Amino acid sequence: MSRNRSKLQFFGKGLVPLLAAISITLVGIASNAGESQFPNLVALPGPPIPADNQQTPQKVELGKLLFFDARLGGDVSTSCASCHNPEIGWTDGQDICRGYPGTSHWRNCQTIINAAYWDKLFWAGASRSLESQARGAARGAVAGNGEDDLMEERLRQIPEYVKRFKGVFGTERPEIFDAWRAIAAFERTLVQRDTPFDKYMNGDKKAMSQDAIKGMALFKGKADCIQCHNGPLLTDQKYYNLGVPENEIFDEEPLKQITFRFEQYAKGVSEEIYRKTKSDLGLYYRSKRHKDMGKFRTPSLRYLEYTSPYMHNGVFWTPEEIIDFYNDGGGEDVIKKTFGHTTKTKLLKPLNLTDEEKEQLLAFLESLSGEEIIIAAPALPPYGIDRGDGLKVEVKK
Amino acid sequence: MNRKISSFFIIQSVIGSVILLVFLIVPVTGLSGDVSQDIGPLPKIKAPGPERAALGKLLFFDLRLSGDANLSCASCHHPDKGWTDGNELSAAYPGSKYFRNTQTILNMAYKRYFYWDGRLTGKDRATQVRDKITETHFMNLDGRLMQERLKQVPEYVARFKKAFGGEPSFGKTLKAIAAFEQTLISQNVPFDSAKISEEAQKGLDLFKGKAGCIQCHNGPMFSDFEPYKLGVPEHPELFTDPERATTFRSVLKFLGVPNFENLRKDPGFFIVSKLKKDFGKFLTPSLREVSRTAPYMHNGTIATLEDVVDFKNRGGGEGSELKPLNLSADEKKALVAFLNSLSGDEITVDPPKIPEYQVIANWRKMPN
Repeated sequence: MSRNRSKLQFFGKGLVPLLAAISITLVGIASNAGESQFPNLVALPGPPIPADNQQTPQKVELGKLLFFDARLGGDVSTSCASCHNPEIGWTDGQDICRGYPGTSHWRNCQTIINAAYWDKLFWAGASRSLESQARGAARGAVAGNGEDDLMEERLRQIPEYVKRFKGVFGTERPEIFDAWRAIAAFERTLVQRDTPFDKYMNGDKKAMSQDAIKGMALFKGKADCIQCHNGPLLTDQKYYNLGVPENEIFDEEPLKQITFRFEQYAKGVSEEIYRKTKSDLGLYYRSKRHKDMGKFRTPSLRYLEYTSPYMHNGVFWTPEEIIDFYNDGGGEDVIKKTFGHTTKTKLLKPLNLTDEEKEQLLAFLESLSGEEIIIAAPALPPYGIDRGDGLKVEVKK
Repeated sequence: MNRKISSFFIIQSVIGSVILLVFLIVPVTGLSGDVSQDIGPLPKIKAPGPERAALGKLLFFDLRLSGDANLSCASCHHPDKGWTDGNELSAAYPGSKYFRNTQTILNMAYKRYFYWDGRLTGKDRATQVRDKITETHFMNLDGRLMQERLKQVPEYVARFKKAFGGEPSFGKTLKAIAAFEQTLISQNVPFDSAKISEEAQKGLDLFKGKAGCIQCHNGPMFSDFEPYKLGVPEHPELFTDPERATTFRSVLKFLGVPNFENLRKDPGFFIVSKLKKDFGKFLTPSLREVSRTAPYMHNGTIATLEDVVDFKNRGGGEGSELKPLNLSADEKKALVAFLNSLSGDEITVDPPKIPEYQVIANWRKMPN
């Protein structure tokens, strides 16, 4: 008798949230009714915080210093901020990122704003976390070119860092892996949740212009951008080949050609592919499946106003160019040209947008960027010296 | 007394004395017997392929063999400074400073071990080159990136093809540089041709006799390449220059030295053996071309050859294995004259013109 009653109670308790979830989903689908079956566009919630790297103000402050500190790198010339410059949308404003002195990067650098929401980082999703990305960038041959042992000892030579690392992480001496944790914590504060779009979605119906509202309808409807640009981050975090044209800079600059070949070699492709490819193969480098050649991750459309140029190789300098590109149904599949099989997504078709519709889409895209988020480079703590009686900063007389 | 017992004792003591004598003599003379024949001219070795050596010479001066394209081998091994950099402590990659004295490239082909702590065998010069190019604190270049940089220089592509029969690669680069180094060998050394001054001859006699230098400075390279403790004092800048301190610790950390965080002395050969008794021992350097490679010792703390002789005359520093020599002023001068006779013609090269990158035209149609 009591057993049957508790079963009922159990189902009763489980039933309510289940019904709630079903109804929310139904509402979500209903609001999209007649358009598409993708996660809806919604205001940005707070960023996910990993259980093993909780935020504290001290950790964030330490991470901010380290973000700007070129001693986390090889030749102390290049910090995270060198390529992710707060005054340039937290990118470096170029089509192909500048990379390390004496060399060049080979892809467009992405913004730090809202990076906290990504499942994985980099254009092909090569890093699983902000912590891992920070380490990868600091050590990459064409990025920071640093090495763990030496970077760690530099931190240990800076009395201010020794003190702060001890306060935040409890270590007697800074450990390099904690530097990545601190930087990730700092990056998790770089979010933008108050764009005109967010305000509108949170109830302020005057926050978006009429054109932007119409643009949003096109986005979900005729233009069907929402197929991939969905959810609160306006990305499904999946990988597609759109037929983005090649960047001719690779035909023109020796340093770009060097890095291109280096990346094939470093990412471990077969001899045949190393010799043959002149196209960035994107997701293929991780999956090693031919169907993934030339696929790159859907970028977020947030903060777009400040992060030009666009695409993995920076070939589009304005949002207008992007809209025209999609209006054409994307571009020619360079993978088909080189390898004979196509990996271009079937989701793109010519859109036949009118000029007015393009303007409205543009207005919507603009609503996804709020005020520019700029942080001034902080003063960095100096090295100390230990004459045998402890590490101290010596004041020059 | 029992005759058997006494003769037994006599035999024992004779054997014991012989053994004792052997233990006294052997360290002085070495097991090879008469050491006056141990020092002598360098044996002839096979010259490297001229194509490889010429290519290696270009690479030796090429700044692009460092991560940020700021340093070449020649930056620390300068042809006009006896193939060292003339500093007490070597420079290093930007953001680092090294904690030991740069050794000369001259006669490298004859060294039994590399580095002051002897951690690399002299047979493997290619690995020594690799070390220098890829180490974080030296030239900090990823070997895969180096290969691609070289492939972007048409002249290198042609030269590698001619010298090795293939395209530029990491391994071939190391061999080419090692081949170039092999051409830097002492020439017309007064000692080798037995044409030294009277004073230098006196110095030679002291070298083999009263001063006893030959105990360690023997063989054709005037070095046994063994580790010894001379009690050379630490260089003060080891800890007063923050970049030097960080480099010191990070290298020791990488080489697995226990308690590296707290060391205030260079462990030397301990790094290799990890035996306490080897702490602070460094390899006997070669004395060939020594007049060109000031300052001296593993940390450049002894400025001139006169100062070195004084140091040895005192019996070295704290914890030294040496004994005072009681040399007179004239004897010291004679020794220095002898040391100077170990330098031959100045071997220098003009820095070559380094070929530039070229864009690969028709890149999309050419194989990588």
